[in-house]
Amino acid sequence: MLASFAHLLLLLLSSWSWGILATTPSHEQIVGDFFSKNGSTGGTTSDHTNNWAVLVCASRYWFNYRHMANALGMYRTVKRLGIPDSNIILMLADDVACNSRNKFPGSVYANPGRDLDLYGDNIEVDYRGYEVTVENFIRVLTGRMEPSVPRSKRLLTDARSNIFVYMTGHGGNEFLKFQDNEEISAFDIADAFEQMWQKKRYNEIFFMIDTCQANTMYSKFYSPNILATGSSKIDQNSYSYENDNDIGVSVIDRYTHYVLEFMEGINKTSHETVRDLFDIYDPAKIHSEPGVRSDLFTRPLDTVRITDFLGGVAQVEVGAPRTDAPLDLLEPEPAPQSQSQSQSQSTPKRSRPATAPAHIRTKGVRGQLGRAGRAGARGAACSCLARSWAGRGGSRFCFGRLFINPYIELSVR
Amino acid sequence: MDRIRARLRAILRPPGDPNLNRVQRRRAIISALTRRLHLIKFILFLVGYLWMAAIPSPRLGRGTYIDENALQPGQVNTYWNWGDVANADRYLGQLEGLRDANSTSEQRAKILMNEFIKLGMSASTQGYVFTSSTGKVKGTNAYAVLSSPRTSGTEAMVISASWISRAGEGDGTLNLRGIATVLTLANFLKSYSLWAKDIIFVVSDNYVDGMQAWLNAYHGSTQSNLQADDLELTSGVIWTALNIDYPGHSFSHLGIFHEGINGRLPNQDLLNSFHHISKWTGGVPVLVYDHLEPQNDLPSWIPSAYHEEIRGYSYRSKNVLRHIGYQARGRGSGVHGLFHQFRIDAFTMFGVPAAGPHGFHAIGRIIESTLRTTNNLLERLHASFFFYILTAPERFLKIGSFLPSAVLISVAMMFGGLRVWSDSAWILDIFVHPEKTEADTGPTSNKWIQRSRPVIPVLGIVLSTHILGGVLFSVLTTSWFSNNQTVASVVLFLAVFVTQLSALLAPSQDEKTTAPASQLLKALNLCFASTVISITTVVNFSLAMSLAILLGIPLSISSPSRSLPLRLGSFALYSGLGLGWIFAREELQKAIWDWEILGVWFAPFVCVVYLPLVLQAGLVCLLPV
Repeated sequence: MLASFAHLLLLLLSSWSWGILATTPSHEQIVGDFFSKNGSTGGTTSDHTNNWAVLVCASRYWFNYRHMANALGMYRTVKRLGIPDSNIILMLADDVACNSRNKFPGSVYANPGRDLDLYGDNIEVDYRGYEVTVENFIRVLTGRMEPSVPRSKRLLTDARSNIFVYMTGHGGNEFLKFQDNEEISAFDIADAFEQMWQKKRYNEIFFMIDTCQANTMYSKFYSPNILATGSSKIDQNSYSYENDNDIGVSVIDRYTHYVLEFMEGINKTSHETVRDLFDIYDPAKIHSEPGVRSDLFTRPLDTVRITDFLGGVAQVEVGAPRTDAPLDLLEPEPAPQSQSQSQSQSTPKRSRPATAPAHIRTKGVRGQLGRAGRAGARGAACSCLARSWAGRGGSRFCFGRLFINPYIELSVR
Repeated sequence: MDRIRARLRAILRPPGDPNLNRVQRRRAIISALTRRLHLIKFILFLVGYLWMAAIPSPRLGRGTYIDENALQPGQVNTYWNWGDVANADRYLGQLEGLRDANSTSEQRAKILMNEFIKLGMSASTQGYVFTSSTGKVKGTNAYAVLSSPRTSGTEAMVISASWISRAGEGDGTLNLRGIATVLTLANFLKSYSLWAKDIIFVVSDNYVDGMQAWLNAYHGSTQSNLQADDLELTSGVIWTALNIDYPGHSFSHLGIFHEGINGRLPNQDLLNSFHHISKWTGGVPVLVYDHLEPQNDLPSWIPSAYHEEIRGYSYRSKNVLRHIGYQARGRGSGVHGLFHQFRIDAFTMFGVPAAGPHGFHAIGRIIESTLRTTNNLLERLHASFFFYILTAPERFLKIGSFLPSAVLISVAMMFGGLRVWSDSAWILDIFVHPEKTEADTGPTSNKWIQRSRPVIPVLGIVLSTHILGGVLFSVLTTSWFSNNQTVASVVLFLAVFVTQLSALLAPSQDEKTTAPASQLLKALNLCFASTVISITTVVNFSLAMSLAILLGIPLSISSPSRSLPLRLGSFALYSGLGLGWIFAREELQKAIWDWEILGVWFAPFVCVVYLPLVLQAGLVCLLPV
């Protein structure tokens, strides 16, 4: 009885999988039709399929309350716009909410009226206290992790990830202090981004920094597809915005305050672009001159939506595999001309030879479907699945060599 | 251009052997300097003394500022209110009852302890007895500890008030309102859970001795003449202490008293934070000490453009002189001064007695806000200055802008001493050629001959003066001296004078073979005095400055002479300079009391270092040529 049931199950399973394999093109078609129903891409030019955020508060101590509030304000925003905790790396000294000097224990506020508790009851701090180090930050970016590091502490991005990197703390000309202990230099971040690019860990990066002389921090970037903005020019301080007289310290910085004020008007379906964000920069209000660096960025700024970076609003890609999948180093052959219909015009930003061997191409399709599913459903379950796919592919790169992940092999065959 | 370069090269690198040139150049520089040594010394003295005189100038110094990021002064709402003022008034009534009932120290301390216990705090008392040459000093302190609700209590802040106010330097005015403030604060502060440090409330007995006993017991340091109870309650490391002194009915200003014993000062951040809070949160103007800025009119013959400057100078010089008075004598300007020896930053806020307008309401709010600020500290105060002179509440001189003045004097004295030392090795031998005696008075050949410089006997003289100073000091601290001070002072002065006269009996030596002892003594005396001044500048600038003024010129002009009355006369003058203080009855008593009870180094320093230096200069005059 039991055996026959097992047989039946096997039969069902095999016929189902056969059906899947047999109907791949039409399935693709169905999904493609489904997602193009609403006017497909809806105007954005981005071709990312997943969003990540790295939010760093590099300060600790009670009197740096405002830096914690800056980072938590950004955290609230990206979470509100749809990036799940699994895709947010929050590095926070986290010593203010439960500081004995805090008159409002367990809360962090960013405005003097204390309207909105940024700490709330749903905070996931990935790197806390003394874990917020330059080393950990660079390891997060480049993915060079000990095998024991849990997935929640990893930036499991791939070549189709848009990453929002926000940093705040005390800094100076081309450096940012980490917890009064060490510094990260502009060169360190630039090199880390270049490694990420070489390892295909991102599609585009939006880098934002609020610190003194912040604009110097992005001056050394040299990797493509990075859009950067900072709160103040060289030799300019960034100032705090307001002080709460019961908390007794400044609760937020000016630049971040105005950015967050703008962000509060954004929701998941907003079409505001980064150009709109940069247009609200008012040196008279911010008391410093914010800067924007877009020379490494290929898309025109007025087509780059805020939600391309701060939201979990990814594009759906349906069709033939993209040829710049992470496995392309295996067989450097010329790129086939038949690319995916929806993406081929806007994507060839990666200059490296794009190719995919035939036996992996099917996997490509599955990968795309996974992404499509995630983007389409905008739900947690799908995104987890897709992230695990992408993440495994991405994190196995090491010094330009490719280790084929056994999980991917399995899922293909 | 080339021509200029060639000319420069000709000046800088003359032809010839470069090594030889260098040696010659060096020799030329040295001889030019030694030939003008008197001028150099004169200039150093002049610049040094002028610099000292310029310290109070409004043009020198800079505005105070807060250096430590963590402090964040004056950024909080204060919740101390009229209800707390009413509480303070009730406590005050109780304390006045204690005063009128003439209650003993123990009774007072018990009642204060009970008040703390009524507030739900752990409280205790501590009895102590000091024995000194003037008799016993007894008292009982009361204290309470408010444990930090949300931390482990490894650090603490102290709020203290002594029974006797510092008004009149502890002449007996009671500090009842200060104590009432402490009690009310205990009631008020316990209702907040945001204290990151324990708060210790101390009501110390008498003026300074109570706190000395309490601090010694708290830190486990022993003092041979102190018998004090162990503290039943302890807390963490004390970082800051605020001492409240509110003797009058009301106050118009809050004065900052900050000098600690042995010339230590608290970190300036603490004073600046308090100043900021007092001004902006409390609305109470702040003074340095109790000196109001003078508004008096100057004589009309002075051009009005200078009025501001002169007024500023006279106001600041008053502050600077008061500061020097406290610091040079090593005397703390209040109870806070005892904290500094344990590396606790402390000061006294003194309510300058006036008809108004401020009272409990203002002082409570200011202390509440100041405590919020010190509560923010993450490490001991370290960022701002420890060496400074506050010339006005908002202006100060940092160490670099006053220290060189005393160092210049000391350098001038060192040059003088070295000059005397090198001169003493040579004597000009005037040799008249015998064969030309009849012809004319003319050609004599002057020859410099070298002579020996026996240092050991001179060092013996130096040592004997220091030993004499030590003996004198040990006599001063006996009860015999304190009991018969008037007679004893005269006896001791004469004893020192007469023992020194034995120098008259010193054998005279041949000038051509040995340098005279007086010359060698002067050289050593100047070099030693110069060293003492240089070293003291960093430890206690006011003391170094006073030494530079008292020793600089007198030691430099001491010289032997052949006439006995002149020798005796100048020796008497030096003795007066060195030992005249023995007739300053009050001052001497206070210095000895400070040494015995509080461990202030001023009295032994004067006896063992200052007096011998002056006596040595006197001996230079007295010794036979």
